[in-house]
Amino acid sequence: MDKPDPSILILGVGNYLMGDEGVGVHLVRMMEKDPLPEGVDLLDGGTAGFQLMEYLERYPTVIMVDATLDKNPVGTIRMIEPKFSQDFPKAMSTHEIGLKDLIESLSLMGKMPKVYLFVISVADIANLHIGLSPQVKAAMDLLKNRILKLTAALQNDTVVALD
Amino acid sequence: MAQRIVVDPITRIEGHLRIEAEIKDGKIAEAYSSGTMVRLIEEILRGRDPRDAWAFVGRVCGVCTTVHSLASIRSVEDALGITVPPNAELVRNLMFCAQNIQDHVIHFYHLHALDWVDVVSALKADPKKTSEIAQSISHWPKSSPGYFSDLQKRLTKFVESGQLGIFANGYWGHPAYKLPPEINLIGVAHYLEALEWQKEIAKIHTIFGGKNPHPNFLVGGMACSISLDDASGINAERLAYVQQLFKQAKEFVEQVYIPDLLAVAPYYLDWGGIGGGLGNYLVYGDLSTSAYADVKNYKFPAGAILNKDLSHIEEVDLRNDSEVQEFIDHSWYEYAGGDGVGLHPWKGETKLKYTGPKPPFDQLNVEEKYSYLKTPRWKGNAMEVGPLARVLVGYASGRPDFKEVVDSTLKKLNVPATALFSTLGRTAARGLETILTSTWALEFYDQLITNIKNGDTRMAAMEKFRPETWPAKAMGVGHTEAPRGALAHWIVIEDKKIANYQLVVPSTWNASPRDKEGKSSAYEAALKDTPVADPNKPVEILRTIHSFDPCLACAVHLYDEDGKNVSKVKVL
Repeated sequence: MDKPDPSILILGVGNYLMGDEGVGVHLVRMMEKDPLPEGVDLLDGGTAGFQLMEYLERYPTVIMVDATLDKNPVGTIRMIEPKFSQDFPKAMSTHEIGLKDLIESLSLMGKMPKVYLFVISVADIANLHIGLSPQVKAAMDLLKNRILKLTAALQNDTVVALD
Repeated sequence: MAQRIVVDPITRIEGHLRIEAEIKDGKIAEAYSSGTMVRLIEEILRGRDPRDAWAFVGRVCGVCTTVHSLASIRSVEDALGITVPPNAELVRNLMFCAQNIQDHVIHFYHLHALDWVDVVSALKADPKKTSEIAQSISHWPKSSPGYFSDLQKRLTKFVESGQLGIFANGYWGHPAYKLPPEINLIGVAHYLEALEWQKEIAKIHTIFGGKNPHPNFLVGGMACSISLDDASGINAERLAYVQQLFKQAKEFVEQVYIPDLLAVAPYYLDWGGIGGGLGNYLVYGDLSTSAYADVKNYKFPAGAILNKDLSHIEEVDLRNDSEVQEFIDHSWYEYAGGDGVGLHPWKGETKLKYTGPKPPFDQLNVEEKYSYLKTPRWKGNAMEVGPLARVLVGYASGRPDFKEVVDSTLKKLNVPATALFSTLGRTAARGLETILTSTWALEFYDQLITNIKNGDTRMAAMEKFRPETWPAKAMGVGHTEAPRGALAHWIVIEDKKIANYQLVVPSTWNASPRDKEGKSSAYEAALKDTPVADPNKPVEILRTIHSFDPCLACAVHLYDEDGKNVSKVKVL
């Protein structure tokens, strides 16, 4: 709370108790093991909604990571740049309230950070268990590398290929 | 002829809830509440270290993570006979109060207000008149004509951009909305201010719990070190910040939340006669001024009220296996001993057996099983839990602080005490409760500072933390009062591992299906006789259901097969 604010936050959200749905949290735990680039912070957002406001307001750039039920093959990684809550993929995390309302309110108040959202396709969020499926697990290194590539590009102000 | 309407899911709640209601002559004749997702947290916990359970249950929900963690560590401490140091009790109380106030404010403005406040009508408000009204009800400084006119411009731009977003799911223009445009504009302004404010109070959890979201808890105490001059721990500066945050919270409650509640209520006094429901109220109690075990010293007294009889309070014993029991006669589970029996949570079973229709379907077969929620009963009675229950038990216990807030509010609104048994009463009780918790928080804070100044910095009792010290088998129950009501976790520890773990959560009490005798639980009972003007836009159902502050995430588990968040209303 007291140190100068880095400019980029990597925010993993999702429910750790629901298998692949917790991919965002798993990613944060994986990235915690290595040193982060200067000016980049990492946060396990868990199942929180409104509690994340402090962080979304503080960082001008937020890279969010979440699961999606978009019917793509499991483990597919996509990056999108949502501006409104409708731009977020379906079943963004497990909670109905919170994050989406927060994003709307921030844009109404003119405080919305620039958000890059990495979504990882998951098959279902019906089963309660801890751990990732082999397909999502196999995508984790690629996911991490793409996030680091994006942070480097943002910090160097270079153009990133969006896909 | 009765007409069946289905609202699925109910929006602006945490979790997934389906309501089916039969409308006859413009009123709800029968209602059915169904949790349509599965909860299996119990299965995840089996076989784990009981000292870790708090971290798992804290992830059940995005709203009330702290109360689940609190109930969990208390259940383990109860099983192992651990008494935590006074400072740990006080820190837990402070975290409880912070969460209670934050949660209630968020509920009022972000989950419930839009059932009463018409956002689109706010666009027509006169900013000058709005300012006059705002200044007449409160000293809150953000009340100039310029402030409201600026907000109105931003809101207009937002609505014109077609991005109604947060405001998309309202029944704007519905005749059931009664507020003048100016009060609607005040409501929208405070919707946004409350959002800004809540991020401040959340910092109390970061300070005491080390992080937020999902702060740390510890079996035996709290995982924080406090001393006034410790540079790295919680020192005088951090503590002063906590006090400042609680003072700000009290200010927000007294100058924004309560004045708004009192400004809105007079337009909806008819709701003081709608949505009462069961008339049975259950409170486990919490916030001890000495130790958790000293039930008599709870700021929120424990007890049960039956049939709205405020002259008599029954004692509640969570260990007695004939008191709290869960039934599955209308729930998609099976018990080894079959249906028709109620199991005390220490003997609780969690085995799913879905027998409902294959989706997509039009309506549930409510004669059979129709929910993933079990049906809890207290001595066989359906009970309502939550702020109204707490306020009524405190009031009926004759506690002066409860008497004062309740009586003064009834007087201001010029309504009799019976108006408390209603949708409006439920919503008002939640606000009144924050007057109490924001006051108590400052008392707990002073006590903590006094203890530290007297040299007591103990924060955890670790003598029985190591499994070697545990008995071969132990059973415990830990309770608290979550924002939504009475919450308890029951644990059975065998061979140092969790052998059984059952959560009976507030929304299970309130949102559960009928019992074997056909008796409704709180939601279903409260919806009965509620008028519905337009079955296609049942804002009245939302008012009563939201007045309970539903949170189904921990009552059930979430699964939305096509990820749709827009509530569908189907008239059958």
